[in-house]
Amino acid sequence: MDNHMGPGKYTVETFAREEGITRQSALNKLSKLKREGYVTISGGGQQKRIYTLHKTPQQPANGFYAIVNKYAPEKLVPTFKHHVVGNYTAEHAIIDGIKIGDARTLEATQHLFRHVTSWKRLFDLARKEELTTEVHALYNKARNNTRVKRMPKRYQE
Amino acid sequence: MINTADQEQLFKLIADYLPKDLVCVAIGGTAMMFLGYKNATRDIDLVFDSEGERNTFIAAIGELGYKEKALADVYDERRKKHAGKPRMFTRGEERFDLFVKDVFGYEISTKQEFTERRDYLGKNEFTIHLLTKEDLIVLKAVTRREKDQEDIETIIKIEKSIDWGLLLDKAIAQAKRNEWMLIDLEATLQELKRITFIPGKHFKRLYEAQERLHGKR
Repeated sequence: MDNHMGPGKYTVETFAREEGITRQSALNKLSKLKREGYVTISGGGQQKRIYTLHKTPQQPANGFYAIVNKYAPEKLVPTFKHHVVGNYTAEHAIIDGIKIGDARTLEATQHLFRHVTSWKRLFDLARKEELTTEVHALYNKARNNTRVKRMPKRYQE
Repeated sequence: MINTADQEQLFKLIADYLPKDLVCVAIGGTAMMFLGYKNATRDIDLVFDSEGERNTFIAAIGELGYKEKALADVYDERRKKHAGKPRMFTRGEERFDLFVKDVFGYEISTKQEFTERRDYLGKNEFTIHLLTKEDLIVLKAVTRREKDQEDIETIIKIEKSIDWGLLLDKAIAQAKRNEWMLIDLEATLQELKRITFIPGKHFKRLYEAQERLHGKR
């Protein structure tokens, strides 16, 4: 990273002030750093944008935590960064949630059953990981607690 | 040399050639690239849990044209004789260094705590775990190849928050498996003193551990 600013959170105004440059130059610089992966942005629209500067380029996480935090009302703090190359679906995330296995993760994972598009894929993965019983148990729990799609009969216990 | 984007595509391609799901741990330059410390590496270092898993991986890269290479010119005599030496495979400019559980006496397993996980979903799933930056530094100190010291310095310059105590814990816990580990680590830390402050208490601990280890012999 060629800028001399330390990692941390900035608005465009604080960034410009600390760099000693104009607001427009600050926007240009932040935009360049964002392209290189050193800056992530939150806010926008009605909210003021907050720019987070990182020491190393960040790749957007797209794995288990991205899916579960998109769909579950109770959000999880990632215990590891998860990146996936390929088609990672809600079915994969259910299996990963069961493998992680703590109570909070399982609670959040229940909400993914509403987004299952392929029961075959879910049970193929479950059979591969020998987690069929656990998938049924979590599905039954999800049926009691949330609105969930009905599992096709051929996959039921 | 291979850059981050090419490495991602290569792993995705390998996942398509794997006959079954595989999990491994990335160390060295590969891990540094994933963690954003560098943009390119010459060697892709992977550690598998068993010989069988390594052979599965070798079969997949064999189909892609990677050929086994002798360890000469890369590792010194002492490391070439060590049980925890890798098997090397090369094709063009990139090279795989493939270890099984043991990197010159430093034990690594996919079961241990990891900070990042990368999944490549092809015909089968290829999963790569990344360890902590302290593990990376100890491993670089243990392998001590041409660019390893340079890589350690890169990590130190970017990361101001190295837990030297944890780093020593990890090295001392495994020192029995490689009598040179603490000596190599001490040499590395001495060189690092040029660019960062390492409190003297850590060196004292290192020397005490060394004495205890040699006292037992």
